[in-house]
Amino acid sequence: MKRVMKGAIILLLACLVGVATSCGPAAAAKEIKIGVIGPMAYVQGEHHWYGALLAAEEINAQGGILVGDEWYQVTLVKVDSNEMVSVPDAASAMERAITVDKVDFLVGGFRTEAVFAMQDVAMDYAKIFLGCGASTPELCTRVADDYDRYKYWFRVTPMNSTYLGSVDFMLLGMVAEKIRAELGIEVPKVAILAEKAVWADPIVAGAKQLLPAIGMEVVGEWRPSPTATDVTAELSAIEAAGAHMIFTSFSGPVGVPYAAQWGELEIPAASVGINVEAQKEGFWDATGGKGNYEMTMNTYARVNITDETIPFIDRFIARVGEFPTYSAGTYEALYILKAAIERAGTLDSDAVVAELENTDRIGTAGRTVFTSDHDVTWGPGYVVGLGVQWQDGEMKCVWPPPGGEWEGVDYEGAVDYILPPWMVEAWGP
Amino acid sequence: MIESIIINGLTSGGVYALLAIGFSLIFGVARIINLAHTAFYMLAAYLIFTFASFLGLNPLLSVILSVIAVTIIGVFSYKLVINPVREHETAILIVTIALAIIIQEVMLMAFGGHPRVVPSLVSGYTEILGAKVAYKQLLAFGIALIILLCTWALLLKTKLGIAVRSTAQDREVANLMGINVARTGMITMGMAVALAAIAGALVAPLRVLEPGMWMHPLVMVLAIVVLGGLGSIKGSFVGAFILGFAETLVVFLVPMGAFLKGAVALTIMLIVILIRPEGLFGVAFEEER
Amino acid sequence: MGIISGYIGRVYKQFTGEILVLPSRTVALLFCLTLFLLPLITADPYILRILILASIFAIFAASWDLLSGFTGQMNFGHALFFGVAAYTSALLNLHIGLPHWLTIPLGALAAVLAGLVIGVPCLRLRGPYLALATLAFPLILTGIIFAIPGITGGELGVSGIDRLSGSRVIEYYIVVTLMISLGFVMWKITDSKTGLLFHAIREDEVAARASGINTTRYKLLAFCLSGLFAGIAGGLYVHFMRIAGPSTLALMLSFQAIIWAIFGGIATIYGAIAGVFILVPLMEFLRVMPEIRMLLFAIIVMLVLLFMPEGLTTWVRDKIEKECPRCKLRNLATRKSCRVCRADLG
Repeated sequence: MKRVMKGAIILLLACLVGVATSCGPAAAAKEIKIGVIGPMAYVQGEHHWYGALLAAEEINAQGGILVGDEWYQVTLVKVDSNEMVSVPDAASAMERAITVDKVDFLVGGFRTEAVFAMQDVAMDYAKIFLGCGASTPELCTRVADDYDRYKYWFRVTPMNSTYLGSVDFMLLGMVAEKIRAELGIEVPKVAILAEKAVWADPIVAGAKQLLPAIGMEVVGEWRPSPTATDVTAELSAIEAAGAHMIFTSFSGPVGVPYAAQWGELEIPAASVGINVEAQKEGFWDATGGKGNYEMTMNTYARVNITDETIPFIDRFIARVGEFPTYSAGTYEALYILKAAIERAGTLDSDAVVAELENTDRIGTAGRTVFTSDHDVTWGPGYVVGLGVQWQDGEMKCVWPPPGGEWEGVDYEGAVDYILPPWMVEAWGP
Repeated sequence: MIESIIINGLTSGGVYALLAIGFSLIFGVARIINLAHTAFYMLAAYLIFTFASFLGLNPLLSVILSVIAVTIIGVFSYKLVINPVREHETAILIVTIALAIIIQEVMLMAFGGHPRVVPSLVSGYTEILGAKVAYKQLLAFGIALIILLCTWALLLKTKLGIAVRSTAQDREVANLMGINVARTGMITMGMAVALAAIAGALVAPLRVLEPGMWMHPLVMVLAIVVLGGLGSIKGSFVGAFILGFAETLVVFLVPMGAFLKGAVALTIMLIVILIRPEGLFGVAFEEER
Repeated sequence: MGIISGYIGRVYKQFTGEILVLPSRTVALLFCLTLFLLPLITADPYILRILILASIFAIFAASWDLLSGFTGQMNFGHALFFGVAAYTSALLNLHIGLPHWLTIPLGALAAVLAGLVIGVPCLRLRGPYLALATLAFPLILTGIIFAIPGITGGELGVSGIDRLSGSRVIEYYIVVTLMISLGFVMWKITDSKTGLLFHAIREDEVAARASGINTTRYKLLAFCLSGLFAGIAGGLYVHFMRIAGPSTLALMLSFQAIIWAIFGGIATIYGAIAGVFILVPLMEFLRVMPEIRMLLFAIIVMLVLLFMPEGLTTWVRDKIEKECPRCKLRNLATRKSCRVCRADLG
């Protein structure tokens, strides 16, 4: 027994050494190295990688990036930040990517606490870091506060949580209209169910203030932990409060048990808001189909936000076999970077930053123009986001509503929002 | 509202009880703090998922198969990695936590970080006193009661039970009395892991399947068994309901502080053991030498 | 002149007689020298970062060993000290603008207070009860941190903190010097009379009390000292990483301290440091295969403990050194007789 174990240890060590020595640098002439950094064991990180991979393959197939009069090939470096587990790990991974792998640019990042740490490392080396995952406004206010240090940071996706809030209220308004029309309830009651997280705080505060003004009543505010695994007590309490709508703000894993338990117990209240878990293709299976009628804000759906959207989704599915989530915005990030480098005609960070600031790209999720603090510009004609609803296993776009009722924005493929049938049964006339 | 609190408190208490009993058993008998206990619970849930969703087996059959498989894995890991270091209290902690991490990483490699769902034996809900209860929750509650009774009967009425209890009281004397202490330990480990696997079959469908799902239950289980008194199965049962009710009360009475329910449960545990250092039903440790 | 040369001679004799005679001490000396000379060979910021983090965690793991290894007060929530100090230093630095040479000691002071706060009520608890009670504290504090995001930043943490120094090499020297000196201080504490009493409490608290030792006072002292050192580690971490977030209180960080210390060898101090300096670089090395990194880590830890349940350094030391049965001093394993009392080592 002991001898076997000892043999196993020696073998293991031998393997380690073997792997380490075989990982020498792959030399290639004229390349731009782009680090894709994210939690690679999770969907967010995987889609960071897939989005960047697709873009890099397309760019290289077209000859690469033209810097001055020389063509450069894009080489991607996959960097596992392990940020879900360890913040120092994420910062070390960032530094390793910059100093050992010698990447020229970085895209990715997801968990805010880790992105702050990674951002600082990237800024120490004056490396351009295009954020594709964290929505906290503070990441960009740093640019405004200390431009010289933080100007190398840009957020490509998602839009920051202030705008998320604005879209939330439009989604709520649409569903409230539906409830008034179909169930004859003039002042729908809203239960706020938001994970306890800083990004959700302004949204909750805004909801409490604004909803009464637009004809809704707030019956309570529940704040479970973003990692809670059981919200049946919250749901019971919400049902007891007589709510017609549940206004959700979930970015954490709690979104899955929430939707599953909401569907299982047939809580008679429409679920509206943000549920990042419901943006993923795996949501339907993860809830065992109980997440039917769950609605959430999203970045991608099979509608023509721009002419690029549907072809992109098709290419993405053909390449990796999954529907893109928002962190696949690394695809956009690479194209934005390519354009800026080509305009700048150099790889020098400062020159590229100056050109990134002039970005105006009609991309897959809308028109990207950076604000003065390097954030995504929100509004009709720019990036607005979508509302999607799960309808019998498919994620359908329900907002902006079909027919261009909102600011004349009308996407082909959008459908009407449907109230959960058990809700109609419970409250119906 | 009071009805809802009672019903929700009972169901969540039942879930916790199911998780805590096995942990309590192996500690009581073998004095092993098995930090991998909830990892076995996760392993069982993933196996059920594999059998039922990948291989398309009948859910009940999948449950039985995975309980058997996990028990075998549990007994083997006891023999291979826990037993060799059981004289070193601290090494046990690390070995079991390493075991948990290994299970977690294997799950992560095999299934990725995506959340999944364990197919449940039953679905739907019923209304009790006006509060909605999923059949899954009722099942978990009922099985927890049955298991408690079975364990009780086993420990008090059978020869094996006497062996287990005497080993728990004094290993050396039990050994002198002709009890095969090593085998008793292994049987207990098998039982404890089987209980964890059953919990995986009943509790996991209420939750989401993901490779980090063992961490939170581990904390709750530790809090419950300490609150109830280490090694006391009755204590674990009572402790589970106390914490179940505490969490429910927080959600209903302080909805804005629902995220604090875990912290409140832990605080209650702290207060109890600060007043009664051996927990509610624990035997005060003699000064061990 | 004669005095100086005499003094040098004495130092030299001490050096050869006390350090070079024992391989473990020689290794320790070489380790310190390597750490100090390393920046002369490479100033690679990535390597320095890993060693800085390793040094910070080495202080942290050794402080766990001081409390749990020596006194036997099994602490499962050691991250509490780290986190309390981290947040205190961060907030003092950010809001009041105190420099880091003030915020780190103040953070450590806060950790000492935390040591008292949990030490006093936990005095009655024993064994696993103590372990699990201590586990609860950082988790409860995490709840509080989320409850007051206005001050703590909730899940975002407190960021925008001053660096330890503008230069990575200077940061390296600050942290490494502190690690070595604090490690030495901790080792000296455990080697002193106080350390002996810590041992006595672990082995048999009742007997210790019967011998007229105020065990309560010494247990509290252990909590405070451990908090102090862990707090310094927390403060250094914050000024290096420049963010204090809820992850500084995470359950995994507490477990990590235990893994490092037990892996290296419990109740030795240097074992904890060795554990960190083996496992942290190993984790970085394993980045070449990110998918199985954690898995290999866990397997290696498990295998090592199966063969060396007392920990790595203790196992190695027992192989290369043996203890003189008469005077209890350690000798090179190849010696036939004790280097001091000449007793037969057989």
